[in-house]
Amino acid sequence: METEVFSTEFWQAFAPEMVLVVGLVLLFIIPNLGEAKFRVPLTKVRIPWLFGGRRFKSTGSPALPGMLGTATLFVALGMMVIETIDGGLSTTTVTSGDVTLLQIDAFSRFFEIIFLAAILMASMASLDRVPAHTFKGNKSLEEMYDNRRQADLYILMLTTALGMCMVALSQDLFVLFVGLELASLATYILVAFHKESKAGAESGVKYFIVGSVASGIGLYGLSLLYLEFGSLQLSTLSANWADGSILATIALGLVLVGFGFKVSAAPFHFAAPDAYAGANSPIAGVLATASKAMGMIGLIRILLVIALPDTGTDGSAIWIYTLATLSVVTMTWGNIAALGSTNPKRMLAYSSVAHAGYMMAALTAVGAWHWGHVEAPADYAEAIVAAILFHLFVLVAFKLGAFLVLGLLEMEGGASRLSALSGLARRDPLIGTSMFIFMLALAGVPPLAGFMSKFLVIASIVSTSVGDQWVNGSISFSDLHWVWWLALAMFINSAISVFYYLRIGVVMFLDIPEEGRRKPLPYGASIRMAIWICLVATIILGLSADTLIDMCYRAAESLKLA
Amino acid sequence: MLVGGLLVVVAGLMAFFPSLGDSDTTVDWISIPLVGFPIIISAILLAFASQESRSRKEILAAPIRLFTLCASLIPLAISTALFFDWLIMVDWDLMYNEYALQKEYLWIESIGVSWHVGMDGLSFPMVWLTTFLVPVTIIMTWNEKDGATYHPLLLMMGGALIGVFVALDLFLFYVFWELTLIPMFFLILKWGGKDRRYAAQKFFIYTFCASVIMLLGLITLYFLQPEGNGSQYGTVTGRTFDMTVLFSNASAYNMGDNVFLGKDMQYVLFAMLMIGFLVKLPAVPFHTWLPDAHVQAPTGGSMLLAGVMLKMGAYGMLRIPIAIFPDALIFYQDIIMAIGLISLVWGAVVCLGQTNLKRMVAYSSVSHMGVILLGIASMQPIGYAAALFMMFAHGIISPMLFAVCGAFKHHYHSMEIGSMRGMARWSPFLAVYMMFAWMASLGLPLLAGFVAELMVLIAYWPEYGWWILLPGFVLAITAAYYLWSMQRTIFEGGDEGQPPESLNGETPPDITLSENIGMIILAIFTVIFGIFPFIALGMMDEWTVAFFEGVFKKGGI
Repeated sequence: METEVFSTEFWQAFAPEMVLVVGLVLLFIIPNLGEAKFRVPLTKVRIPWLFGGRRFKSTGSPALPGMLGTATLFVALGMMVIETIDGGLSTTTVTSGDVTLLQIDAFSRFFEIIFLAAILMASMASLDRVPAHTFKGNKSLEEMYDNRRQADLYILMLTTALGMCMVALSQDLFVLFVGLELASLATYILVAFHKESKAGAESGVKYFIVGSVASGIGLYGLSLLYLEFGSLQLSTLSANWADGSILATIALGLVLVGFGFKVSAAPFHFAAPDAYAGANSPIAGVLATASKAMGMIGLIRILLVIALPDTGTDGSAIWIYTLATLSVVTMTWGNIAALGSTNPKRMLAYSSVAHAGYMMAALTAVGAWHWGHVEAPADYAEAIVAAILFHLFVLVAFKLGAFLVLGLLEMEGGASRLSALSGLARRDPLIGTSMFIFMLALAGVPPLAGFMSKFLVIASIVSTSVGDQWVNGSISFSDLHWVWWLALAMFINSAISVFYYLRIGVVMFLDIPEEGRRKPLPYGASIRMAIWICLVATIILGLSADTLIDMCYRAAESLKLA
Repeated sequence: MLVGGLLVVVAGLMAFFPSLGDSDTTVDWISIPLVGFPIIISAILLAFASQESRSRKEILAAPIRLFTLCASLIPLAISTALFFDWLIMVDWDLMYNEYALQKEYLWIESIGVSWHVGMDGLSFPMVWLTTFLVPVTIIMTWNEKDGATYHPLLLMMGGALIGVFVALDLFLFYVFWELTLIPMFFLILKWGGKDRRYAAQKFFIYTFCASVIMLLGLITLYFLQPEGNGSQYGTVTGRTFDMTVLFSNASAYNMGDNVFLGKDMQYVLFAMLMIGFLVKLPAVPFHTWLPDAHVQAPTGGSMLLAGVMLKMGAYGMLRIPIAIFPDALIFYQDIIMAIGLISLVWGAVVCLGQTNLKRMVAYSSVSHMGVILLGIASMQPIGYAAALFMMFAHGIISPMLFAVCGAFKHHYHSMEIGSMRGMARWSPFLAVYMMFAWMASLGLPLLAGFVAELMVLIAYWPEYGWWILLPGFVLAITAAYYLWSMQRTIFEGGDEGQPPESLNGETPPDITLSENIGMIILAIFTVIFGIFPFIALGMMDEWTVAFFEGVFKKGGI
């Protein structure tokens, strides 16, 4: 179905996104409603103006922005999920003139669900935990939490969500870039939001500088692409890619730098550990899951939709080799750096670098499939993309869950040392066990969701390397495509990763809680609920993955790779 | 009353579970009673007990312990009844790739994973052994501290181990294979000795690394198999993880000069799978996790680790790589034989130098696992039957060895062989059990270990001739280290009649009633299977014959 911008069909199709916009506007207005009066000039008549002044008790409540933001995200997410499950999802394309701007299909909806789920969990976890200023002694909740600061937080979160949705929906690289920047700028501020600590501000600035350099390079690449093809439409680019000159290949490389930063691929990952360590844990969780998925959309759109070597020139085949090298470097670097870090947040950051490496290995396999070395039917590529999508989805369950547990620890003090976790299982068996399960899922221990995702990614890589070579039951080992070695590299890396994941388990179950942490954990109902949801999802998606796998396949099919 | 209540729970679960499947209505004796029930019950108990405060846990320990014991007796009763045909007639005389009590429920349809369970002559003895060892271990370690979570962990361990043995689906097999690590990790981490942190991590990481290599082999094998149609095949991938389908494909292709997947591919995949199993077994040079894990593990953990978990390695070898890649086995035969011999010799020689009783017993396990590898490398039917019986016999004897070590540690607060002399004076019962277990392990005739060792040597002769002197000599070393350690502990030495220093002048006690009961059960079964080996060996022989016909295409014993 095609529709013009702002037509009736447009509003129907984009209802969930509109919910986000409405929520955003409400967040601007409602916390500012107060007893302000407007004096008519030259008279003494005062008309109630309601905007500003001393806030009403209801609108001045520090809990209000959080409720509003969470409810908005929940409604939008619910609408999307219901639409997807009902099967009522039809492909809707938004055009303006002859330019295709946005497209709703299974692929974009899937990513939107990932984004909104991650941000919803983070916003639930932040419901009552960002103090307005450093405080000493007993103060009331009203004093500790300032509703304006809470409103800022949730406005930024909803902006991030909106920008990410735009990235997922875009059919034009320029629109994609605008969405990317909208989300990025919001996340830069979110990282620096923890302004009480020196690390927060510092990491925010670092993240901002490195991030804007990366997106500048990406934008330069886009401008070169425009120079070459005269359009930034995905469809135009992919149709004309084969005629492109060397300029197109260079532009591709530059654009990859921009997205490589978002997925925190080596060698563009240096800002990530600092950013994660300085940000509030729920925000760091969003960076590690939703932001990474956003970068992944860029990589998938650019590499798989536009520049698959089948339609591309020989020159563009170079990206397979580059990507293969980078993926191995990324996963190894991430894991080895994680081994040496004693800050649990940095450790999780490096582990998410390693996870980026795994997904890049899978992308390489799609390229290898298409390059023609492998005789295989088209659904191989779809299987790989589906595996990547599955991985991105379940990351929201266990990686974000791990960050939320750290967030719970942050409520009673920092969580930047490994010793903060010591004795957690003794202090709170349920939270400790959840954290251990998240760690096992990250390490890929069956039957948890992390195992399923790693399994699917590796299986899809192996399937590409094997292809349809089963001829009369006899093949030679050297007949396997070289991407098989990427699967081996992934296995070796996940074996390395067990060291540091297990270390957290040992610290939680064996060590004595450090001084000042002997009391029970702070209660935090909403953050605990978010952890519980993550835990249940980690287990359920591992045990019965069929529904989600189907969803991933439908999303991958709608990319129309073959 | 407890047992009655539990039986009701089992019946309820059993009634529920098959209704998930589609077709056949016969009772599923494996999924719930043997695998699901122990895991579910222990998970509930753990979730319940871990929430309680320390003092409440003390109070709860006794009822939970009793409940766990009753729960663990149910699988034992069912597996015993299945052997004696009390519940239903089970035909254990199976052809190759036929399984008794098979059940299949689709699980992840898109990639062809099903919950497929069944037993044959290879797995049933191991299943019975596990069901038997769990209650014995619980009785044996009745007074372990923090019993409210300790005993449920043992039960969960048992359920996961049984899952490994009954799984007939590669995916399911791998899931249980890894699941066994988690209870054992916690057993070592929470109840272990001084260096438990190091030992638990080493144990987990070592075996996990090996099994991911194995998993890569399994996935490659999965995609190399021919595609097919049928309910077991994945709707998306067109392949299946079902072992039975894989075995029949492999068996059909391994005819005459045809080799399933080609020789080159077989060698690579066989090696990848074997790495996982050799580390678990463990064979020298992959054995270094074992002594650390054993020395630090609590008694119950050691008993299950040595008794059943090591056998997972041997079981996996026979179940997957050898059945699918017989030509690779012929290619690697000498290497496996060499690894077996090195394990045998190395384990025994290292034992001679040990001063720590438990470490010595752990190395003796390495040595005995070498015997299993020799049986496999012999490529003789009798060698395979011997390997199976060795798995079974060692599964009864080694828990007793570790039970003795545990009792020693418990009452003498030391593990050093030299620290205690004249134990027979203070602890006559422990001395008797120690002597019995040591004799059984060094292969005294009429005890279970002897049968297996003799059969391995018989199988060894036609294949390797006079090399037989080497294992023969090692068996003499085995006798030496066992007798020497016994002489240094049981009988009196230099400072006669003095209780050991580690007791600080107290009079050493003898073992407790529960330890007595546990050990006497193990001792009785060691004698029973030594005198009447055919109780278990008959089934193993039948399996070996069928295996040789199906895999190596030649007749059996």
